Amino acid sequence: MIKFRDVLVRPDFAEDAAPILSVPQLALGEQRISIIGANGSGKSTLLKLINGLVLPDAGTVGVDGRDTAKHGTAVRRKVAFVFTDPLSQLVMPTPLEDVELSLRRTHRNRTDRRNAAMEILTGFGLAALADQSIYQLSGGERQLAALASVLAVDPDVLVLDEPSTLLDLKNTLLLRGRLASLPQQVILATHDLELALDSERTLVVDSGTVIYDGDPPAAVDYYRKLCAGIRERTP
Amino acid sequence: MRGRAHLISAYVPGRSWLHRAPLLLKFLLLAAAGILVLALPGALSRTAVLAVVVVLHVAAGLPVRKLVTPLRAMWLFLLVVVAYRWWVDSPAGALAVVAALLTCIYAANLLTSTTETQRLLDGLVAAVSPLQRFGADPERFALTISLMLRSIPYLLGSLHDVRDAAKARGLGSSPRAIVQPVIIGAVAYARQTGDALAARGLGEKEQ
Repeated sequence: MIKFRDVLVRPDFAEDAAPILSVPQLALGEQRISIIGANGSGKSTLLKLINGLVLPDAGTVGVDGRDTAKHGTAVRRKVAFVFTDPLSQLVMPTPLEDVELSLRRTHRNRTDRRNAAMEILTGFGLAALADQSIYQLSGGERQLAALASVLAVDPDVLVLDEPSTLLDLKNTLLLRGRLASLPQQVILATHDLELALDSERTLVVDSGTVIYDGDPPAAVDYYRKLCAGIRERTP
Repeated sequence: MRGRAHLISAYVPGRSWLHRAPLLLKFLLLAAAGILVLALPGALSRTAVLAVVVVLHVAAGLPVRKLVTPLRAMWLFLLVVVAYRWWVDSPAGALAVVAALLTCIYAANLLTSTTETQRLLDGLVAAVSPLQRFGADPERFALTISLMLRSIPYLLGSLHDVRDAAKARGLGSSPRAIVQPVIIGAVAYARQTGDALAARGLGEKEQ
């Protein structure tokens, strides 16, 4: 269970400016949660708060009762984060080495580690690409490789920031299928409203606050009206 | 822009005897080559050691192009060294210095071309493990080294790209037009790598 209490994130070097994000009370317990909202609305900040990549300026964020500010390391071992751009995520030159990097802590023996890494890549249909340069992979293969590397640390919660933004339809469908089959709690921010509907609960974020929280179809509908309303007001 | 960077990855996949040799043996060979060229002062004997290293390189099935790359990268430096040694010493003295330098570089290349990074890191972890009782964390040490190894080709690649971009806009080789973006790019890259590790909870101190 992820709990936000009186959370406030202010922009750096501008303490008096309006907060980037303000979340008085929020509890995230569902297995599949999606977050939608305009660019710059605070979606990414909300996600980054969950694993302590961003720390609140006021208030607390807790994962299973552990404060992200006090127990950052423990929280990050529970909560893994997937970036929009898989190239930012892949630290090593090949998918195999990158997955092996994730496995170093749990598999001290080299042969075991290699076998475990190959097994994970096989599960993602990437076995044939294990030794390829990550730059020779297609966008979809890269996103899958990044997902494989992140899941290799065996997290309890997976947080994804716009995971389908750089993908074509085929790869988006592949990713959606993959995400649906995961045993982990999945929390994702997206502009892809169909992807947002693949959840049990949807949050709509606007100007740094959660303005709608509920059933995915109703939330998506609310968000569509919100955007249309904004367009009507600006000439 | 990062595309080229990784393509200069040092490891050459293969199954040659040198690929399969134990890391310790390869390391001892590298150390022996370094000690030999330092211990043997003569141009002839050093050239002989260099020849042995080159033969090993070819025998391990490594591309000959890998022998040319360092030359292309450091020809100016070598030229200065040769000119200087020739002037203060003799042509043979110049040859001796160049042979010693190339021996060390090629021998180091032999190690990195035939050993995967992960295996090198395991070796490093094993080597620094005795320091654990003094509070060292071998895994974090290995991670730091691996990030360094990966960052060098990236930074060289980014230098290359920025130079091309400057040329494309007719800025020639103005140092300011090149140094500034490379530094900013390096800092951004460092932060990005830090986030990528944090995203997986890697490289953090045990609590």
